[in-house]
Amino acid sequence: MTTEQEEPIDVTTSIEEVTPGESHLARRGIFGVAAGGLAAAVFAMRGDGDNTETVAAGGRAAGAAPASRRSPAAAPAPRRRAAPTEGDLAIGAIAASLEVLAVNTYGAALDAAGSGALGEVPPAVAEYVTVAKAQHEAHRDAWNGVLTASGKEAVTWAPPDLEQTVNDQFAMVTDVAGAAQLALTLEGIAAATYLSVLSKLESTDAIALAGSIQPIDRQHMAILTFALGMYPVPDVFASVDDAYTGPGAPTAMPETR
Amino acid sequence: MKGNGLTMNIDKRAVDSLIEESQDLQSDALRESYGSLEQLRDIGASRKGKTPDQDSIREYELGRRKLLKAGGFGLGVLASSGLISTAWGQRVAAEVQRPISKRVEVDVQIFQTAVSLELLAIATYAAALELDFISGNDVIRTFAETTAMQHTEHAAAFNAQAVELGGASQQMTNPKYTPIVEDAKPTLTDALAVVKLAQTLEEVAADTYLANLTMLTDPNFRTLMASVLGVETQHLATLRAVGALLEGGVPELIAIPTDLAALPAAAGSVAFPEPFEKPNLASPPEEGAVS
Repeated sequence: MTTEQEEPIDVTTSIEEVTPGESHLARRGIFGVAAGGLAAAVFAMRGDGDNTETVAAGGRAAGAAPASRRSPAAAPAPRRRAAPTEGDLAIGAIAASLEVLAVNTYGAALDAAGSGALGEVPPAVAEYVTVAKAQHEAHRDAWNGVLTASGKEAVTWAPPDLEQTVNDQFAMVTDVAGAAQLALTLEGIAAATYLSVLSKLESTDAIALAGSIQPIDRQHMAILTFALGMYPVPDVFASVDDAYTGPGAPTAMPETR
Repeated sequence: MKGNGLTMNIDKRAVDSLIEESQDLQSDALRESYGSLEQLRDIGASRKGKTPDQDSIREYELGRRKLLKAGGFGLGVLASSGLISTAWGQRVAAEVQRPISKRVEVDVQIFQTAVSLELLAIATYAAALELDFISGNDVIRTFAETTAMQHTEHAAAFNAQAVELGGASQQMTNPKYTPIVEDAKPTLTDALAVVKLAQTLEEVAADTYLANLTMLTDPNFRTLMASVLGVETQHLATLRAVGALLEGGVPELIAIPTDLAALPAAAGSVAFPEPFEKPNLASPPEEGAVS
């Protein structure tokens, strides 16, 4: 799929289409088409060798018989591939855009802190924002590395709909607690999104990358929750409820505790 | 407060209320998690009486050999830290290099091993709660009790998956780390030692579940595994922060409500030292497998 020129990724077509039955846990499986339908369509068009070797999870859920209907004798291990599929790249682009939003928001928080707009900023909070921003930059760069290695353009934009909502919320922030609350909301969205896409991604590399980022976002959440005076690990299981579902999705921010 | 002189402040009623509220909020997610059992029963029924998928086992063995050569499953960490030559290191290496069972499906072994880690965590927190310097402190006791309860839910979820897939229920603690925890018990003389031990167990569990993500082929299995992974890494983050405050000699700052202004700068980042979680201490699927 590598091309001579970088290709832009169009994720808008994946927004309203949801692969049914993909994940029993995901409520807003907006990435379904990105990972399943789009990948299946691309494979069908390509018809190359990789296609026949790839019977990965997302593709199977999107187009093939569910596991429960496969005969045991005809139930070979799905052939895993390391390289990302087109569906993985579409998901990666959305993940990168969420990372851009996180980096921008933490950057704005640092600017606001520097200008005194947030009042007195405790040292631990300044340290948190600096390190969390750097980690989200690393996440953004990792996804963009995946994209550019596959001949796609790096993502430099935040999801416009979500960015607008975040900007509106940020405009109302007047202190450290408000900034921490907004950061907690964003981290929650990011963590839930990564959890959600783990059932859609097909390649081992993409699964490993998303899987290595989701825990860090959950750790950011734990420290933010503690900073806000709440119990740091309130959930028994991480949830996909707040997952970002792509451009065109409802932009209301989830309620925070 | 005994041990290292740990003293903490907590509004216990507020914490209990927060926990209760959050658990209500996620009851839907739990129901949905267990909702996948019907599908699993179908898969389990389809496997009944059949030989485990040998392609899957061969594929895992191939990846496993590569991983072992690269120092995976904790061997790299042991080697780089010089621990590989110790009795403990040798015990770990022997367990890691045990061949995978060809009689049990890889995904079943993964869930059974996950259960064994969860059961060990539960047993360890239970043992910690018997120590005066743990049970006598509201913050630490609340964390230990709540975390043990969460691990109990994880163990039940993983065992349910293993059984529904046609495997045996795992009822034993992890065979590699159980003797290590037993050896460590006499050294648990203060809160910091307990926190460090718990930190190790949480890291092993988290790393194992992270490694499992690329081995599990069913998307629903990945979702469940990652939903637990996310929580274990939050336990780990909290323990890292608590450990740092204990080591820094400011145990009074381990408090809810939080005295944000008094926290040292490092408290803002000690909980997540790396931008990416790595499966450095991952246990292999066969480690806690039962047939």
